Amino acid sequence: MDIIKYNGNLEIAATDEMQLIKSFDKNNAEIKNDIISKWGVFENRNKSFVENKNIYIANGKVNQEYCFSFKIDELGLSDIGEYYFEGLDTFGLSFDSVTNEIKGIPVTAGEHKIKLVIKINDWGHGKLLLEKELTLLINPDPKSLWKNIPTPNDIEYFKPDSNQSFVKVESVQKSFFGENKFTKQILIAASQRGRSHAQEGRPRDDDFGLYYLKEHDWYIMTVADGAGSAKSSRKGSEIACRTVVEVCTSKINERISEFERHIKEFHSDKTDANRKCIRDSLWEILGNAVFLSVKKIEEEARGADRPIKDYSTTLIVSISKKFKFGWFVGAFWVGDGGIGIYDKNNQFVKVLGESDGGEYAGQTRFVTMAEITQPPELYRRLRFEIVDDFTALILMTDGITDPKFETDANLLKVDKWSELWNDLSKEVNFSYNNEDSAEQLLNWLDFWAPGNHDDRTIAILY
Amino acid sequence: MRRLPVYLVLDISGSMSGEPIEAVKNGVQVLVSTLRQDPYALETAFLSVITFDTSARQVVPLTELSMFQMPDIKATGTTSLGQALSLLANKVSTEVAKTTAEVKGDWKPLVFLMTDGEPTDNWQNGLNDFKNQKFGMVVACAAGSGANTTILKQITEVVVQLDTADSATIKAFFKWVSASVSTGSQKIEASGKDVSGLNELPPPPPEVNIVV
Repeated sequence: MDIIKYNGNLEIAATDEMQLIKSFDKNNAEIKNDIISKWGVFENRNKSFVENKNIYIANGKVNQEYCFSFKIDELGLSDIGEYYFEGLDTFGLSFDSVTNEIKGIPVTAGEHKIKLVIKINDWGHGKLLLEKELTLLINPDPKSLWKNIPTPNDIEYFKPDSNQSFVKVESVQKSFFGENKFTKQILIAASQRGRSHAQEGRPRDDDFGLYYLKEHDWYIMTVADGAGSAKSSRKGSEIACRTVVEVCTSKINERISEFERHIKEFHSDKTDANRKCIRDSLWEILGNAVFLSVKKIEEEARGADRPIKDYSTTLIVSISKKFKFGWFVGAFWVGDGGIGIYDKNNQFVKVLGESDGGEYAGQTRFVTMAEITQPPELYRRLRFEIVDDFTALILMTDGITDPKFETDANLLKVDKWSELWNDLSKEVNFSYNNEDSAEQLLNWLDFWAPGNHDDRTIAILY
Repeated sequence: MRRLPVYLVLDISGSMSGEPIEAVKNGVQVLVSTLRQDPYALETAFLSVITFDTSARQVVPLTELSMFQMPDIKATGTTSLGQALSLLANKVSTEVAKTTAEVKGDWKPLVFLMTDGEPTDNWQNGLNDFKNQKFGMVVACAAGSGANTTILKQITEVVVQLDTADSATIKAFFKWVSASVSTGSQKIEASGKDVSGLNELPPPPPEVNIVV
């Protein structure tokens, strides 16, 4: 074998020529001198190559296409013959000597040691191989780094890591001519603990509530996001959602004829006075619901001898009904997240309120803040809308609006809602006959968005 | 996605040669390989390295953590801290995205500045440039007793001092930086707020003393 490998130290000297260098064979002075002189050049030139730490090979990511064009010329070596890399195949890459590219799909993450081997052309005495060990870094898939640690079920205020609900509605109305008219609607909701919580075995802080008030054909939906920094916020969001549904139900029952009369009067005559009548009804229903949820949370906090701040939660509520002339939707919203009436056919969206996300990231408001239950502030946050029809009424926490809308300005753009709806429709079959839509919605909540791993909750009426 | 920019501003003047500079290089390596195992940091942290000796240069532009590679650096020359601060301010203004109505910008940058001596340039000019930029958290580290903590205190409230600039101490500092970046990226994920105070970082190890 007549190969000399040089990798910084003269490790292998298995050739006749190298034997000559070592033994200084007197009988072969000519070859000896030639080798010694070449070796000198070789040492100087190649030592710097082997010791050069700046041979750049780009990092890769596991299971993602990798392609790096290796520029041998930049190494400043002359007389380069063939060259290749050893060790790439152990993690799924290969070297294409025609295009000089290292490529493939790396299958294992890690700091892989590979070897660059260069044959030097002008070495007259046997073959000379230059070798340099390099590191090629393959990053792990961030998805694989997230742990899913179940929430211990003996913690205070335990809440399952996910939840879903499905309500199928078929209501019958007599038309003017005495025919039966069917309204077919589905109410669904799903809530999933965020990866950032799962990573540490912390519970879900979000919650939701859904109710179909059959007697009067009203739909009640609510979502709430317990503050990440408040240690009992999961209970705050739960109490808020439960109370809102209870109070809205009883208050709608109590005021049904007056409330619906106000809606009909406003529809036929959109005066400010009529508008105010609706808002006053909403004040009685939604305002009370919000106010009483805060009272309930206060009671809980007092019982546990903790500040109400520990139970901080955002809250979005909607009550809606289909009338002959269209849909009425009343809403209350405090905090971030979003609520909108989306109509795909007419490319229309009506956002029912304003996000409290504000200019400063993460600065949101909570229903549990004293200022929110001040009558003027609470009243200000009541909204309603009458629309002919819609594709979906959607309520979401910021675990969804942050990745899907990013900014408050985008929340007002119908294009963004269409993107969301298209994305949802890929996984959720929104046909009336599909009874798995809540399950599908829960699966959809697992969508991947780097840097966005908060709890996610969504409620949809369609 | 909102990035968490992290700037490492490193003194590589002549006095850092030998053990300190090797320790800094190893420290950055450890920092990067540790953060790569942290899903929060791997997704959100972007890293830049600015070095300064007789002049300042950005040896690594703001790069996503997974693609970061530490260049070879050699210690030589004087200590142009002012230039480094000006360059830092300049790079932050061009590399860090600002929040607008349409786009959520990056998180405010975290800065870890390490120096072992007195500045030799007109550092006040650099300080002025620096003060005109918005930063999240700026930690200045005086490596050994030769660094002027009074000047560092004018740059930031958060000044820490290493008793000696040996490899074990510098390593401890970088481990703490790594833990701080991890905590920072978790915090922005959990609360949606920028990192702004020392009390939001993990407690420094015994080798890293807080200068009051």
